[in-house]
Amino acid sequence: MDMSSHPLLAAIDEPPPFPERYLQLRRLDRSVVCQICKEPFQAPVSIACGHSFCSSCIRSSLDVMKKCPACNEPASEGQIRRNRALEEITDSWEESRPIIYELAQPPVTTKKRPAPPESHSKPSSSSSGTKRLKPNSREGSGSKSQSPTKSRQSDDGLPEIPVIDAQEEEDDEEEIQELTENDEAPCPICQATLPISSIPMHIEKGCPQPKNKINGGARKGNQKADWKKVFSGQGLSGKTKEVEMKRITKPNYSLATPAELKSILSEYGLSTSGDKVTLISRVQEWIILFNSNLDTSHPSSISALRAKLNEIESSKRKDKEKGKDEMINQLSNKDGLQKYAKDKKSEFDKLRKEIIERDKKRKEQDNGNGKGAARENAIEVE
Amino acid sequence: MSALATKRLMKELAEIKTKGTPEGIQLLSANDMQEWIFLISVLGEETIYRGETFAIRMKFGNRYPIEVPEVTFLANLQYQPPVHPHVYSNGHICASILGNEWSPVLNAVAICITMQSMLASNKKKERPEGNDRYVRSAPSNPKLTRWHYDDDRCNVNRADERLRSI
Repeated sequence: MDMSSHPLLAAIDEPPPFPERYLQLRRLDRSVVCQICKEPFQAPVSIACGHSFCSSCIRSSLDVMKKCPACNEPASEGQIRRNRALEEITDSWEESRPIIYELAQPPVTTKKRPAPPESHSKPSSSSSGTKRLKPNSREGSGSKSQSPTKSRQSDDGLPEIPVIDAQEEEDDEEEIQELTENDEAPCPICQATLPISSIPMHIEKGCPQPKNKINGGARKGNQKADWKKVFSGQGLSGKTKEVEMKRITKPNYSLATPAELKSILSEYGLSTSGDKVTLISRVQEWIILFNSNLDTSHPSSISALRAKLNEIESSKRKDKEKGKDEMINQLSNKDGLQKYAKDKKSEFDKLRKEIIERDKKRKEQDNGNGKGAARENAIEVE
Repeated sequence: MSALATKRLMKELAEIKTKGTPEGIQLLSANDMQEWIFLISVLGEETIYRGETFAIRMKFGNRYPIEVPEVTFLANLQYQPPVHPHVYSNGHICASILGNEWSPVLNAVAICITMQSMLASNKKKERPEGNDRYVRSAPSNPKLTRWHYDDDRCNVNRADERLRSI
């Protein structure tokens, strides 16, 4: 099939790969990716064999099978350990990637730059510890932002020089002034004012509103704020201070009563409706969400986790309903009915045969003929 | 579909787009994130399946990649499943990678490669033992069958089957 214009790929939000001549950078890019979700590690953990995954990925996987997905070594949840170094590596790589991506580009655009107008020319020497605004805004255009402006690099690795580039370069020039990392500046895409050091990450995340930068934005800053909250007794969740930020021990699902499951759910302010199967799956999903949230230095709030749980549950419900709808839809047209009849024909024939046989045998028994023989054949294995 | 499953499948599709599929494997359709169809042919001169093309269908569930997708060879007017001691004539496949040896680090293309090499290593065209009996009573989803994985022979769980036929 033609992959060049696949409709499902229109929505994909992937950072562009490094050019082919930088195989080392491609390797580095791959090495901070979880092999289960194929995304950069989130709350990375390691298990006994030494393989690392996102906490929630390996927890979900171990719920299904007790072995390492990468090497098949026996594994269990008890072996899960936070991998702080890997988290730091992943975070810092994510932060540096746009910069390095930009540096790895062939330096064609610089030639096209028009001479800066006199009014705002500044000496280019910048003292140490300061950063010019320009590099930051340049990163934006090369990162995975959804900016409609341009792509600096086409798929085959040949540089493209879009027309608007020159214009933008000029705009950038106008703003050149010496700023330190702590100064604030408008984001080149959405114009929101942010600390300069956090702009690359902000663009990387697709320009969220500055107040939503809890998981993106300036990670260091948030960490500080989180700790402040912890020390002031607020807890990370803010309003629900009664929730204990301690790993939840898994109940024995086959023995647990619905009441026990409900008490776990209500402890975290979750819905307790549904039958036992629903409750078990809700507790299971919650434990994965909650426990893996403890394996990271930038955890989500409890209410964000609750929202995630709701999302998971509603997507499950939708899938179920969709399956039902599909079957009903199929049955409503003639072909569908015929197909159903054909699919079930063997089953139907078998049942019919069984009933006829059974009737026959009963009759034979009633007549008193060959009692023993009929009994021996009573259970026929087809 | 869960967000994880959709995202993961998007990545796989993007990778197929940029890197392409291995030789002999081709993506026939991927109209949504629920069902993909690949075409598989066996390469080389020695293979007993020379010149044949098979269609393999994958249905991805909500919990992909934690749970294995539902994988069958298409059996319709256009495509027929390969005659192979691990492939039933209704397209159901007895392969451990689709059962207890599935791992979430694998992906759709990896399944295709496994199927391709399973066909490539076969020397004799024959159906599995008990093919007719299985096909008559098989559920439409092969994941509901309890498979026994054996190196040379493939069998569904007899006891299980007997229970169902009573």
